[in-house]
Amino acid sequence: MNRTGKLLLTAAPIAAGAAAAVAVKRRRARRPAARRRHVVTVFKPRFELESTQLPGSLSEIADQLEITLAEAPGGRGTEIAVRIRDNATVTDGHVRRALRETQSLIETGDVLLPSGPPTTRPTLLNRPLQMATQHGREGGLL
Amino acid sequence: MRALQWEGVNKLAVGTVPDPELRNPGDVIVRVTRTVTCGSDLHLLGGYIPFMEKGDVLGHEFLGEIVEAGPDVRNHRVGDRVVVSSFISCGNCWYCDQKLYSLCENGNTNPAITETLWGHAPSGCFGYSHAMGGNAGSHAEYIRVPFADVGAFTVPDAVSDERALFASDSASTGWMGADLGGVKPGDVVAVWGAGAVGQMAARAATLLGAARVIVIDRLENRLQQVEQHIGAETLNYEQTDVGGELRERSGGRGPDVCIEAVGMEAHAPGAQFAYDQIKQQLRLQTDRPIAVREAIHACRKGGSVFVLGVYAGFVDKFPLGALMNKGLTVRGAQMHGQRYIPMLLDRMAKGELVTEHLATHVLPLDRAPEGYRMFKEKEDGCVRAVFLP
Ligand SMILES: NC(=O)c1ccc[n+]([C@@H]2O[C@H](COP(=O)([O-])OP(=O)(O)OC[C@H]3O[C@@H](n4cnc5c(N)ncnc54)[C@H](O)[C@@H]3O)[C@@H](O)[C@H]2O)c1
Ligand SMILES: [Zn+2]
Ligand SMILES: [Zn+2]
Repeated sequence: MNRTGKLLLTAAPIAAGAAAAVAVKRRRARRPAARRRHVVTVFKPRFELESTQLPGSLSEIADQLEITLAEAPGGRGTEIAVRIRDNATVTDGHVRRALRETQSLIETGDVLLPSGPPTTRPTLLNRPLQMATQHGREGGLL
Repeated sequence: MRALQWEGVNKLAVGTVPDPELRNPGDVIVRVTRTVTCGSDLHLLGGYIPFMEKGDVLGHEFLGEIVEAGPDVRNHRVGDRVVVSSFISCGNCWYCDQKLYSLCENGNTNPAITETLWGHAPSGCFGYSHAMGGNAGSHAEYIRVPFADVGAFTVPDAVSDERALFASDSASTGWMGADLGGVKPGDVVAVWGAGAVGQMAARAATLLGAARVIVIDRLENRLQQVEQHIGAETLNYEQTDVGGELRERSGGRGPDVCIEAVGMEAHAPGAQFAYDQIKQQLRLQTDRPIAVREAIHACRKGGSVFVLGVYAGFVDKFPLGALMNKGLTVRGAQMHGQRYIPMLLDRMAKGELVTEHLATHVLPLDRAPEGYRMFKEKEDGCVRAVFLP
């Protein structure tokens, strides 16, 4: 078997997991039920945070969101829950990225950037992976 | 600058890439003086972790000198000789606060891939695929180190480069296996795998007070190193029945703590290996869990099994019955380097922890592809190939 074939086959079961997760989401999306909230816990006490003054791009899209803060149990910090309002134009991806950036800004004062300049070269094979990593904070389950 | 790049499955080459730049104010640039192969790289090389791109720079166990520091860096200055943890951690999130550094929330710029695969994303690592952040690795003249105040450690004058290098990954990973595996004075500890990670786990178990430490492998030169430099007992799994031998050496109880330092490409004599390899090649399972199975079976009732070997996906024939009915604790983790490196450097300075023998081959970076071939094929007694950029 050539190398390309081997790589693709190797990727298959792991990539299949990701594809299955996406499929589950689609099925859920067809139901008209209310959209699930996106929630993260940031390691900062509730009294130090103000929902209208969260750092990062969350505040830029705040008018399309319902943001609630709650104290997390066991000294774990504060739970930030976001519901996208009906008729909003922001996507789940925007919200995931904004929440992750907000968490990092609250906890570290910064958002980690990928290393660079890049050392990789675009090829046919790595195009899907490059697409995914260009939106690295937008996907996932958050 | 020159760097070792992944060019495809089982294809490496040294090429010219742009010098790394400071990206965040907490970054430093390190001029790499020593960088070394790790068993984890073999899983990338073989295509078992399919998130590599042509041109990615490998390497995550290294030491060097700081040549540039961002404006927010407080603990270091240009000229510091540092050893760096393989995993990248912010030092401020809840996981870092719990000293579970490889689970950091803010150290991976691509959390989506592993969050989808595993439910939640671990942190980023140097030179370890785009699933772990796509950070350029250390097999290069220079490397960018983010969160340098948290992940880079100044090496004391009393510790040589040759020794300190392994605090970066093998020694901290091995220590974690013994520590979080719960090794206590008087324990019998068994370690699967006599690579650098297994050897360091065995040494950690001894230093934590284990009464007997037994390391299992089939490569005689590695077992010899264990006896000579680590001071542990050995067992060659091709020459004896591992379960029976461990039972006999532990008064019939089985080892209190079993540490697996083999990983997803484990080897076994006989039919089990063929079964697992065929299933892996047909993609019916992604990983070969041969040593984990054996560890769970051998472990004493109520004992603990710590999985240091890297696994990516799913395994077959997992002995859940033994785990449940024997009341075992099974745990695993990517390395929490920041938790252990200062203590390890201290022990290295005192001579309690020696590592130099692991560097069986030292080569210029230009010969890194050859170094990986020897490391992968275990040619010429290769345990670790160290590169000098
Ligand atoms: N958890 C972490 O953070 C972390 C860090 C570093 C390495 N690792 C992983 O630890 C594992 C070991 O790393 P290494 O650098 O020492 O690798 P290595 O390849 O040098 O050593 C692995 C050893 O396991 C032996 N082995 C194979 N099958 C075996 C079996 N069935 N029973 C007993 N021994 C067997 C091999 O002969 C070899 O000596 C790898 O999977 C690596 O990815 C994990
Ligand atoms: Zn490693
Ligand atoms: Zn953190």
